[in-house]
Amino acid sequence: MAIMGRLSIRWLLGELPKLEAEGVIDSGVAERLRAYYADKTLGAGRRLVVAIFAVFGALLIGGGVILLLAHNWEAFGRGTRAAIALVPLVASQVLVGWVLIKKSGSTAWREGTATLLALTVAAAIALVDQTYHTGGDLESFLWRWSLLLAPLPWLLNSTAVAMLFLAALTWWAGAAKVEGSQILMMWPLAAAVIPHLIHVMRSDRRGLRAANLQWAIALFLCVAAGLGLENRVPGLWIVVYVGLFALMITVGAANHRGEEGLWRRPLEFVGITGSVILWLVLSFDEPWRNIGWKHIHTTERFHEVSSWVDVVLAVGLPLAAIVAMALLLDRGRHCLYLMWGLAVPLVAVVWPLTATTDSRWIGAIAFTVLLFVVGIATIAEGVRRQHLGVVNLGMFVVAMLVVVRFFDSGFGFILKGFAFILVGIGFLVANVVLSRSLRAAEKEAK
Amino acid sequence: MNRSLRLALFVVVALVQLAVAGGAIVKSELALRTGEAFRFRIQPVDPVDAFRGRYVAIRFAVERAPATDDLEVRSGETIYVPLDVDADGYAALGQAKTDRPRRSSYLRLRAGVVSPDEEGNRWVWVALPFRRYYMDEDRAPDAERAVWAGRRGQREASISVRVRNGVGVIEELYIDDVPIHQWLAENAQDR
Repeated sequence: MAIMGRLSIRWLLGELPKLEAEGVIDSGVAERLRAYYADKTLGAGRRLVVAIFAVFGALLIGGGVILLLAHNWEAFGRGTRAAIALVPLVASQVLVGWVLIKKSGSTAWREGTATLLALTVAAAIALVDQTYHTGGDLESFLWRWSLLLAPLPWLLNSTAVAMLFLAALTWWAGAAKVEGSQILMMWPLAAAVIPHLIHVMRSDRRGLRAANLQWAIALFLCVAAGLGLENRVPGLWIVVYVGLFALMITVGAANHRGEEGLWRRPLEFVGITGSVILWLVLSFDEPWRNIGWKHIHTTERFHEVSSWVDVVLAVGLPLAAIVAMALLLDRGRHCLYLMWGLAVPLVAVVWPLTATTDSRWIGAIAFTVLLFVVGIATIAEGVRRQHLGVVNLGMFVVAMLVVVRFFDSGFGFILKGFAFILVGIGFLVANVVLSRSLRAAEKEAK
Repeated sequence: MNRSLRLALFVVVALVQLAVAGGAIVKSELALRTGEAFRFRIQPVDPVDAFRGRYVAIRFAVERAPATDDLEVRSGETIYVPLDVDADGYAALGQAKTDRPRRSSYLRLRAGVVSPDEEGNRWVWVALPFRRYYMDEDRAPDAERAVWAGRRGQREASISVRVRNGVGVIEELYIDDVPIHQWLAENAQDR
């Protein structure tokens, strides 16, 4: 058992009285289960704290080494500085080797020393660059660092290094994009975290490490999808992001059991937040201007392979989202998530329609309606499940839509005024209907 | 995966990490110890790199090499540019080639676009690999000011570079033909 499966254990212990009452297990089994897990969870909290402190300690020490070296000790000769560059690297390599042999069972040791190694690698290449005035710009440094980090998450079973690696890779992609370089290599290199992801999900999918890793991956994908696009066909980003967020929501929903807090549901959190922001943007007409194959860029500035990656993402992500929804989600239990997934079929119709007709209003109106419908559906679902968080999410969506439309200069004041009054009346009517049905339900329950 | 296999793989990865850092040291030391010396005229500026500290950014007045009519390169491909010395004693880029020259003083560069000038001579644009001169965090801004003053025509800034088998490494930054550290020491009272 991994040290961080405490939530699963708490859930299991919570189920025991019910299982006992319904005769699934007898009281002896229940007692033994309680005794077994009481033993296991005893040191878990302390071990978790130690691991977190180890990682932060290593981060601070490694960062300090980098800063000390960055001062540039010109008083030392070239030879001395070259040696200084390699000493912290060799020391942390030896430390990691020792942990691999003696302490591979300790998360604190593994994560701490691996983090230190990741930073001393950076320090070593940085100091060599500095000593010899070589190595080019920041982009080249970040690329070499990412390459050297790539095998470490899996090899050392370290989530902290996986997060550092994804951060370095994203930073490189951003820097390279600014310089106008190709960043196609980002995708295969990022795949280096997959073996580690599989390992963590298998050993403890509800643990803190799994949650942290999912946060890092979710945020990486959000940024990488944007940076990675060549945008040769204008507007493909719309389809890519709608698909990506729907896929995140679906996979996140299929994975969670309902007992976890928000921090342990990164995919859902990023997917839903991203969707709300994206849909609000798409509810304006501007993003829909001049999109589609009619406006394709034909200059040779665009990279051929990279342009095809755009197409693969634009077709693949929405398809993957649809397939995932069909396979992973249950129509009864996940009906709310299926509502949020509606964006995928919607964009699959609206995007080609806009591309052929060049009419910017189709998309803007479609996404305004989508925001409204999903917002209302979320409120209704929250009321039905008596879940305040879900009600608030729905209210937030509708409120944001209202604010955005109120200040939208694309419509005339008269039209906006009438629309607001109509929607307001709708809200009041819905309110009356809802409270009546709730009261009826309460009476029935009594 | 068992422990010894994981350990063996880690040793390989650790050696690669060392080889990347150590290889850069060896390559640079070889160029500095045995390479031929060239002096480049520069026009620089000064920022900070979070990882590698302060440096003087280096710009060249012209970064293009003459190209023969039969030179066929696409942007991003590798070219070899021999180094010559002009009448003032500064380095000049020779005719770009797609194959490795026999002599040792050449630079291995990435080609930019090839374009003719008004007189019809073909040039291939390149980015010289000497972009930064790292310095002590306290001294870099002073060096920067000195070099900037040079840009306004009062002082000359240049770098000396050692070149060996396509690899060039910066040796020293000069202001008015005086090494930068000496120049800063001599001019300390003026500031």
